[in-house]
Amino acid sequence: MAELISYGAYLPQYRAPLGELHRFYGRPGRPRSKALATPGLDEDPLTMAYEAAVEALGDGAAPSALIAVCQSPPFGLRKLSGTLRAALGLGTEVTPYDLGGHAGGLLDAFALAEALTADGAGPALVVTADHLVSYEERVADTLSAGGAAAFLVGREGGFAALGPAARAYQEVYDVWRLGTEPEPRYRLEVLFDAYAAAAKGALAGLEALTERPAGEYAAVCASQPHPQTLRALGRLGVRPEQLEATSFVGEIGNLGAASVGLALALGLDRAEPGQELLCFGYGGGEGIAQALSVTGTPPAIGAAERIAGDEIALGTYYRWTRGRQPVPH
Amino acid sequence: MRVGVLGIGKTPHKIQHQKSLRDLVVEAGRKALDDAGVGPSDIQALYVGNVGSVGFNFENSTGLMSAHHLGLVPAGAVRVEAACGTGAWALHLGCVAILSGLYDTVMVLGAEKMNDLATVEGTSIIAQAADSKEEYFSGLTFPSGVALTARKYMQVYGLTEEDLAHTSVKNHHYGARNPYAHLRFECTVEEVMRSAKVADPLKLYEVCPMTDAGSALVLCREEILRAQPDKPQVYVTATQMATGTWYAATDTLEDAHALLARPAQRAYEMAGIGPEDIDVAEIYNSFAIQEPLGVEALGFAAQGEGWKGAADGSTWIDGKVAVNLSGGLLCKGHPLGATGSTQAVDIIEQLRGTAPEGMQRPDAEIGISACRGGPGAVGAVHIYQRLEGEA
Amino acid sequence: MTVSAIEFSRLGPPKLRLYAMRCEACDTLSPWWERNHCYKCGGGALHEEELAGGGELTNYTVVYYPPRDFLGQEPYVVGHIEMDEGVLMPAPIVGVAPEDVAVGTRVKATLRRMKLGHEGDIYYSQKFVVDAEAPAPAAGE
Repeated sequence: MAELISYGAYLPQYRAPLGELHRFYGRPGRPRSKALATPGLDEDPLTMAYEAAVEALGDGAAPSALIAVCQSPPFGLRKLSGTLRAALGLGTEVTPYDLGGHAGGLLDAFALAEALTADGAGPALVVTADHLVSYEERVADTLSAGGAAAFLVGREGGFAALGPAARAYQEVYDVWRLGTEPEPRYRLEVLFDAYAAAAKGALAGLEALTERPAGEYAAVCASQPHPQTLRALGRLGVRPEQLEATSFVGEIGNLGAASVGLALALGLDRAEPGQELLCFGYGGGEGIAQALSVTGTPPAIGAAERIAGDEIALGTYYRWTRGRQPVPH
Repeated sequence: MRVGVLGIGKTPHKIQHQKSLRDLVVEAGRKALDDAGVGPSDIQALYVGNVGSVGFNFENSTGLMSAHHLGLVPAGAVRVEAACGTGAWALHLGCVAILSGLYDTVMVLGAEKMNDLATVEGTSIIAQAADSKEEYFSGLTFPSGVALTARKYMQVYGLTEEDLAHTSVKNHHYGARNPYAHLRFECTVEEVMRSAKVADPLKLYEVCPMTDAGSALVLCREEILRAQPDKPQVYVTATQMATGTWYAATDTLEDAHALLARPAQRAYEMAGIGPEDIDVAEIYNSFAIQEPLGVEALGFAAQGEGWKGAADGSTWIDGKVAVNLSGGLLCKGHPLGATGSTQAVDIIEQLRGTAPEGMQRPDAEIGISACRGGPGAVGAVHIYQRLEGEA
Repeated sequence: MTVSAIEFSRLGPPKLRLYAMRCEACDTLSPWWERNHCYKCGGGALHEEELAGGGELTNYTVVYYPPRDFLGQEPYVVGHIEMDEGVLMPAPIVGVAPEDVAVGTRVKATLRRMKLGHEGDIYYSQKFVVDAEAPAPAAGE
């Protein structure tokens, strides 16, 4: 059984004023998040992944594989895991894997890590990072933000065992992007419906495997593209107390593939030996629910203290969003 | 005048993605220091020829950079620029420095790193070495500017494209034998004629490639080299520089001739010799037509007949005067700032007898290099002599 | 500064890690760009040595008028860091307000974007953050 050995998380320090963005664009309704965690101009998924990975690796853990999960890599055709490996000073014997395109990909990465470490290989470092981008008023809907989380998964020396996992999938258009476009397309109502359906199916599947209903886990650590999706979990038997410590989308926005990673880090920080955690990753119509058994005291990182940040002005946010465009050749 | 050549060195001339401008400078400079048997602290001034580092490499102050990385600090250093004649100008200033009596030993270094940017960008940067604001505004490029001269020459003297093709055949014959050359394949007249048009009437095999290279010389006062008789006694015995019109519109065939003919005549007077004394010549030919023009300007042929030597053998290795035994710029490429200094290095190798097999002129004693550029704006002529056993 | 995709490919992998150049003759550590000669003894043989990332800020300035590549990040702190291994590193200090930076602050290296090349190539390198775990420099140090 694969175990979590250590973990890390990184949130950029800047908070964009979503309320001001609403007023600026004359959007109806109230802002769905207090602020958006906004990477600085010199940050991107690679640098954020680096920060989280450094924290997870601690004093020189030596992984045998590096799995990067990202929906917004700096380069579309290059391996984020390869560059991250070089930036971390890891040797070429560490195999780099890239998983993309799915906000719940952390759970895919755990499955891959489990398979890779099965026959005695050293631990796998799983890193999720995203910097979602939406321009103009669309960010009011997509709550685009950025962050990263990292987990060292191995076969010994861990504090939490990865348990059974169940999946549910339906073919939907909730959030997607054509390959040549910089911005995502979305239908929020489809997202809410699909999230609920995927959660229902995955949680039911997990319950069938573990004989434990969703409401009986110590905490639920879930992908959270929008506060509405967490409310959907509430209608499936997840109690508010299970989400209290692991909810942040209403504070800092949607972190893409890093969302479920940060939720898990928040949950692990407060977990105690003997507890069971439920991790739920959602993306593109698929939900993956996995049980984790906490066997030891997690090496807490204090992720909750990083939720608060420094507010930046509306103009700064706009400059930083637009300023990422390359100068014409 | 006698300026001693204490040492020479050069890098391969080709696309070298793994080497930066600094790497080329250090490689060429160290080779020259080693060949001269001196250390960095013996160099009292450094002249670095470089044309386009601001464009190609987004950096300036190439002379100062070179002084640091070669360990020549605190000797004075400066960057020299005169379009395609840059390397020759660096050599000229090195000679002037020695002849002035202010310096005993100086280094001359040419370097250019052209291939970090895409070709289309490089072409735009090269165009800035000519009147990019006026005539090039009309769509002219460097090859097309020189192509205009080629057409004029053909109209006036009846040169055909096949006639001109022999120049490329000769250059490629020797380029194939030059391990330091960019292009190392032989070709026939038919292959030259079939090669893709670049700027009519000039074709691909009649224009030079874009090259990364560095080349360097250590120059000294005559007495210093005389005092080391075991070293090859090769001296620079003439250095003459000139300008010509900067605009293709005012660049007549006579101008193209005079650009080199005037400094050549003064150079011969300076050295006390004539064209008939020359054994080997390096004649600037980034475009094939410039070799016949140079042959005529240096007095090796009458105007309108400079192309014949490539066809009838008289400018080949055992002809009356061997021209461009290195393969010329057609094969070595034209690393803008290094071309003039590489010409010097290649002639000095001939006079030392150390050129590779198949390209060494037997018993070469007197050589000449002619550099031009801009494309009609700068001319430079240097004469070199092996002077054994003279007091 | 690197400028083209080819130049970055030549330099890229080394710039993802923090390293300096060790002179094989006199053992002096020189900054990473001294690939060809040791400024101390003039020696010509140097090899790369990776640095651990910790150092002390010995000098700094705050830039209010940035070059184009740093537009939008002003005002930002750029300083000279004396690395623990004994070599001076120039680099920006990020994640801290200019008024909270002082000579003697302990800093550690992390990875950031330096600039966007004109070919759409991204250059990463090291910037420094305040080392929160380090003890504050004692008075008089």
